[in-house]
Amino acid sequence: MTSEGGRIARDRRRFEEIVRGQIKRDLKRYVTGSEMIGRRGRQLVSIPVPRIELPRLRYGKNGKGQGKGEGEGQGDGAAGEADSVGAAGSEPGQHLLEVELRLEEMAAILGEELELPNIQPRGRARVEVTSRKYTSVSRQGPSSLRHMRRTIKETLKRQIGDKSYDPDDPRFIPIADDLRYRSFRDVSTPDHAAMILYMMDVSGSMGREQKEIVRLVSFWIDTWLRSQYRSLETRYMVHDAAAKEVDQDTFYRLRESGGTKISSAYELAAEMLETQFPTSEWNVYLFHFSDGDNWSGRDTEKCLQLLTDKLLPGVNMFCYGQVKSAYGSGQFMKDVDASLSDESNVISCEILDREGILPAIKTFLGKGL
Amino acid sequence: MTTPGPDLQTLQRDVEALARSQGLDFPEIVYEVVDHNQLNEIAALGGFPVRYPHWRFGMEFDRLIKGHAYGLQRIYELVVNTRPVVAYLLSQNSPVEQKLVMAHVCGHADFFAHNAWFSHTDPNMMDVLASHGARIRVLSDQVGMEKVEDFIDRVQSLDNLVDPGAMDRARGRPGNAPPLEPFVGERDILGQLLHSAPLDEWQHEVLAMMRDEAYYFLPQMLTKIMNEGWASFWHSRLMTTSLLRDAEVVDYADQHSGAMGGDDGPMNPYKLGIELFGAIFHAHGGGQAGLEKVTEVRAVHNDLTFVDNFLTDEFCVRHRLGGTPEECAAAKEGLMASLTNGGQPVIRILGADGELELEHCWNGQELQMDAAEETLRNVAALWQRPVRLQTRLDNRALLLSCVDGEVGREYGELLGDGEGAPSDEPAA
Repeated sequence: MTSEGGRIARDRRRFEEIVRGQIKRDLKRYVTGSEMIGRRGRQLVSIPVPRIELPRLRYGKNGKGQGKGEGEGQGDGAAGEADSVGAAGSEPGQHLLEVELRLEEMAAILGEELELPNIQPRGRARVEVTSRKYTSVSRQGPSSLRHMRRTIKETLKRQIGDKSYDPDDPRFIPIADDLRYRSFRDVSTPDHAAMILYMMDVSGSMGREQKEIVRLVSFWIDTWLRSQYRSLETRYMVHDAAAKEVDQDTFYRLRESGGTKISSAYELAAEMLETQFPTSEWNVYLFHFSDGDNWSGRDTEKCLQLLTDKLLPGVNMFCYGQVKSAYGSGQFMKDVDASLSDESNVISCEILDREGILPAIKTFLGKGL
Repeated sequence: MTTPGPDLQTLQRDVEALARSQGLDFPEIVYEVVDHNQLNEIAALGGFPVRYPHWRFGMEFDRLIKGHAYGLQRIYELVVNTRPVVAYLLSQNSPVEQKLVMAHVCGHADFFAHNAWFSHTDPNMMDVLASHGARIRVLSDQVGMEKVEDFIDRVQSLDNLVDPGAMDRARGRPGNAPPLEPFVGERDILGQLLHSAPLDEWQHEVLAMMRDEAYYFLPQMLTKIMNEGWASFWHSRLMTTSLLRDAEVVDYADQHSGAMGGDDGPMNPYKLGIELFGAIFHAHGGGQAGLEKVTEVRAVHNDLTFVDNFLTDEFCVRHRLGGTPEECAAAKEGLMASLTNGGQPVIRILGADGELELEHCWNGQELQMDAAEETLRNVAALWQRPVRLQTRLDNRALLLSCVDGEVGREYGELLGDGEGAPSDEPAA
């Protein structure tokens, strides 16, 4: 194909532009709203896009009232869809059709809009990623995968064996034993190993809104990195005066109170990397979110020491996100910036409120480390 | 995209020689060998790699490759009504599949050349669409891509508003669309817009091209069952009487039954078509007499008249469309309703003097209202004056109008049971 390859690619790009244009217009809503959280990459996200459907004079069922599309009312739609439905009643020009995207595609759009560079993985490709190839034949399977030729061959073999086959009047009557099905085999290919560790300050000064912001930033970072690595280990840690590893659910829900000793988190992180995720083999991403209040200047010194000695040398990136809270002094970020500004893999960012989520993601991921 | 290798060329020669010896009469066929992505691309473009640029083709392509990736669908063959007939072969197909596709394509090519409903189509459609594509690119450069795209969006939403009854007036003329002089076809709304809407020169030009393409694609919508049935009747005949080698029988049977089966059951157009042609063939004693009869039928009918004439009660019972005569009649009536005007509502022009007055010829089925309002808006945008459409909703006469971009509904009195002849519909 000479021109053709580019031919449909242009049309498709234009279509994607229209869809993406819509998503980009609403990107902030998707990113700062909570309804995407908890979705996994393969799940489809429905994006209502006006003008995609071709209106025609055609027969149809005029359901209740306006006969508007039924998709919008459903529960897992994005926030703000209520607006579009409302508008639809008074202004029938708003024809909405939903385009379904996978979360990865959403991440790609996010990446495009924020101009995030693609990540260059380091290290050896160590992890095995498996995919399915339908190359083998098995005795069990769904009838949609029935392999006719092999089934008949088995029938023929059996019928010749038990002398029920008559070459002058060939009849094949497969029995259950003869049935053969196409079947898959897992094929492994090596991939780069990557892990993200999210650390969050859950001390008393971090309020609900602060945690929600952390949660949203973490989710989109996670989604983006997942679109870059096919296999990704994600670990979560919370700390107040002491740090502990928790599961994802706890990370997002937990509310503790108490003092803050950031060094406890960095110590545990260093231990995790040493024992489970040696940086010689893993691409490691560390994210730490707090309101910037630390127990003491001495502890902060210890933190900086841990970062310089143990964490920074091997990791792809250390990101510190400081969420503005009513009680936080914000001192920790100043200290980090003051002493680590020369380190190329340290990124810090202050997030004042939900408006700051998109810029924060851009700051963290904009370097492509 | 490559030309077929020596093996496929030999196969093509053998298949076509056999098809001609059995009575098929088709123009030259040119094959292109393509991979899945290329085939999906060409399918998204309606068979024409040279078609004008539009995002909707990109959307269709996106849908096709996703469907393919999820294993939901797979296009086997694609054949284009142009001269020479162009058909695409998937490079991944096995030899027996290629043989099957070639036999099938001979049937389509014969159908394009002989069915009366195709007699008006332009033989050089590949060139025509290439020049449309080139022209639209130039216009996009001149007046702006988005302006042209928006205009095409509107016209595409009207491209079923053409007049099948006017097709024969297009015969023997360049292009596919009937002439606008001395009169515009009663149902040719695209023609009416082209004739008397106050359009810019470039809009006029784009509309003329879109209308021409609509008339080119129209007969394919009107003859789906016949066209697929005829091609399947012939591939089955050619394969099972001569072309198949012993080792290929099981694979062929698997492919064939795959194409004839599916969720639609007996309503699958391939299945319905091949069975109807088979029934006609056997009803005339099979053999040469049977062939003569099916050959005549393929020349003169469209899906609607084909089903009307040849779908008998006996056929109904045999293919489990119904058991009792009443069930059969109901099944046939339902099928014919879905085939009337290609399954599209019949809209005719009542007046085009200043305001454009349209009527939805009532057959018991309501229009999809939100889409109708939106479509009317598109008509009015082209017509640039008030547009009205008489239809029915909830057993009431309804006059939809679009004036200055505003759509309004005006209900008339209650109409009893909602049945009634289209001509005596009261104006609201």
